[in-house]
Order: sequence, then C-alpha cells, then structure tokens
Amino acid sequence: MSDDLLMMLLADARLPVAGHTQSGQLEAAVRSGLTAEQVPVFMRSRLASVVRVEAGTAVVALHRLRAGLPLEPVLDAWAARTPAAPMRDTSRTLGRAMLRLVRRLFPHSPHLAEVAGLERPCRPIVLAAAAATGGIAPASLGRLVAYDDLQTVASAALKLLPLDPLDATSWVHDLLPKAERLATEVAPLTDPHHIPAPSAPQLDLWAQTHAHTTRRLFSA
Amino acid sequence: MPENAKKDDRGLRIGVCGPVGTGKSSLIALLCRELSADLEIGVVTNDIYTDEDARFLRSAGVLDPARIRAVETGACPHTAIRDDVTANLIAVEELEEEFAPLDVVLVESGGDNLTATFSPALVDTQIFLIDVAGGGDVARKGGPGIERADLLVVNKTDLAPYVGVDPVAMVSDAGSVREGRPVIALSRTDPASVEALVEWVRSELARHRGGALVPTDPGPMAPHFHADGTSHVHDHDHQHA
Repeated sequence: MSDDLLMMLLADARLPVAGHTQSGQLEAAVRSGLTAEQVPVFMRSRLASVVRVEAGTAVVALHRLRAGLPLEPVLDAWAARTPAAPMRDTSRTLGRAMLRLVRRLFPHSPHLAEVAGLERPCRPIVLAAAAATGGIAPASLGRLVAYDDLQTVASAALKLLPLDPLDATSWVHDLLPKAERLATEVAPLTDPHHIPAPSAPQLDLWAQTHAHTTRRLFSA
Repeated sequence: MPENAKKDDRGLRIGVCGPVGTGKSSLIALLCRELSADLEIGVVTNDIYTDEDARFLRSAGVLDPARIRAVETGACPHTAIRDDVTANLIAVEELEEEFAPLDVVLVESGGDNLTATFSPALVDTQIFLIDVAGGGDVARKGGPGIERADLLVVNKTDLAPYVGVDPVAMVSDAGSVREGRPVIALSRTDPASVEALVEWVRSELARHRGGALVPTDPGPMAPHFHADGTSHVHDHDHQHA
C-alpha cells in the first residue's frame, strides 16, 4: 500500500487530536492588529520559522527511529529551537493527544512504545513514530507537518476574522509550493544538530502574551 | 470500546451540559460547596472564552483554584465534548494525576444548544440543565439531553412566578419524555432540591465504584450506544442498567 491513505488520515482535520483548540498564534496576532489580508503572510512566516523546526525535528526523529538511535537528542534540539515555553507546552500536549490516537491505530508499534517512554514528547516526534510505523517517507512527513500548520491557521482564521472560507482554502492552496519546498529541504536531515534553527521573536512573544490572556478561544 | 471504559479505580467523571445561561457554573459551584468536605473534586471548564467559567468558580472560593482547569475549544464547545474529546480528556487525566486520588471530576461544557451531549468516551454520567427562565415549553421540545441524559435538572424554579412558568408542569413534561429517568427541579434557595441533587451524585458515585455504572450515550439519535460496544434502537421492554 502506498503511504497516501495513511497520510490523508493523519492530515484530516476531523482527526480527534484536539486540532480545533489551535490557531498557531493567529489569535494573538489578530488581537494585536493583524488583518485578514495579512493572514497569508502570517502563514508564510510560520513556514519559514516554527514549521521548519517542527518538520526538521520530525524528519530527524524518523531517521533515528529507523536507525535505532536514541531520541532524547532530538527532543533537546527541538526544545532549544522553541524558546517560547507556551509553544513547547502546546506541542507536548498535542503530542500526547496524537500519541493517544496512534497507539490505538498501531498498538504493537515498538516505535510508538519508544516515544511513549520519553518525558513529554513533542508532536513532531510522535508523528515521526507514526510515520516510522506506517512506512511514511521523510519528505511525506515534512509535507504532513507543513500542510497541517497551513490548515490550522486557515481554519482558525475563519473563526477569528470576517472571511470567505473559499479565500482561506485558496491561501492554503497557494502556499502548497512553499510547503513542498520546505519538505524537500528537510527530508535529507539525519543529525539533530542540523535541524534548522530560525527565529521568529514576534511569534514567540505572541505565544507568551496569549498564554496569559483570560479571554481566548484557542490555546497559546 | 471508548478509552474511558478502562476505568481501573479512577474517580467518577460527571458531565454538565445545557444551553447558555441555565446555571451550569452555579450548579458546579453548588456541588463543590456541598461535597468538597468529604470528596476530592476536580473541575474542567469549557467556556467559549477559555476561562470565564473557571474564574467564576475560582472566585466562588469553593475549591482550590489549582483544581479548576479551563480548556480552549476553538469556539467549538460541541466538538470538545463530542467528536474530539481529546483536549478535555487530557485535562481530566492531568487533574487526576496531579491530585490523585480524586473522587469526582466535573466537566462543564461550554453553553450550547439542545442537541449537545457528552461522548461516553469523556464522562461516565451526565447532567443536562435547563431552566424555567428559558420558557415552559423547553422540556416538551425534547432532544437527546432532555430525554436521555442520566439526570435532567430544571433549574431556577424560584424564578418561576416572575417568568410565568409553572415548574410543576415543566417537570411533568420532562418526566413524560424521559421514560422514568430522574428529573430534579432545582433552586439554590430550596434545600430539599439541593439535597436531592447531592444524593443523585452520591448514588452515581456508589454505582461507579461498584462497577454498575456503564456510560450511556444520550444521543443525538434515538438508537442507543453503550460503552461496551453494543448498540440498539430503543425498545420499551429494555431496561437500562
């Protein structure tokens, strides 16, 4: 079987993994003045920063799972590249959510058992274990991480801003080539030290501010 | 089988749902006040704006604020208790881990419409809440929560004279669509009604501890689903456990 169907399943917005609680910091950005027209730029900025880190982390973890190498250095490398504590927290909570699902799908996977033994694994590492189990290629895993982020922001945008849903989906579609390039770039990575380390201080600040607001729809 | 069915010896998880403004947070505050002397309690809230309800409960001073968690639902309160309960389940588990052993965790849904009920994967038993101020015909309109939640509470009966509603008729309407499932007409100024509510919670807890409580899905459709994986269209000869 090709990995297409498993990819579709994992990329589906209806997956019960708490995706509806996330806006990728869009809610905080909107609160500080981001407009509907700027959402595509926001999505592109995420692809160039936090999503690169997440996709790189996933691909390196996939390599190490397949090679039988320990994952702690990957988790450390990811944490070092994710300076905002609320973002680390969110990724770990989403990792727990994803792990709950994929352990049900693959109850005998040694890769998932290994990841479940880590101290609060982040979401990309859990995805990597699912990919290692389900035979998903590194580039496909990178696509999955990038695509999921685009859709997360686009669907949150519909809740937060006056938008035509067709526009939001067009934005995702128009950014697919950028997602593809990102996936291709990170696919060959095998060393935790080579996980990209871009910075996006504004996203970090938004996440930190958002964690302390008392009226929010989405998590930080 | 819902993951929730693997109970081990964890506490009872009670869902509280119903339309906006019917008094879900007040009911939870009331239960905390009445039960926290002898039971260990945790609360998860799902207000549409994260922690409005959590702040209300914290300010009510009836429970250690650390035991009250707010979960973001991305403006999807129905999703969070029904088709993707993950965020709530994680919050419940974290409370249970942090304050072990908890006797009861109360999960408060964000106010939604009459069709929203909890998945049996999230709670063991659920209270559906309506109030007299919402109009005397609400109970007659029915719906999964009104008809089949484990307990229906008709709240704010002390307001009935001011809104021109006959609470006795309302409870009787509710009783006629519920096929014998319990209904409590509640007013916080009526100690007997408060006692009835507390007694219901204690009896559910006893059933849970004795292994007799099997989460039952109220809806949204008439065929019933049971947590043991069996389902059936309702038939009147069938007695629910």
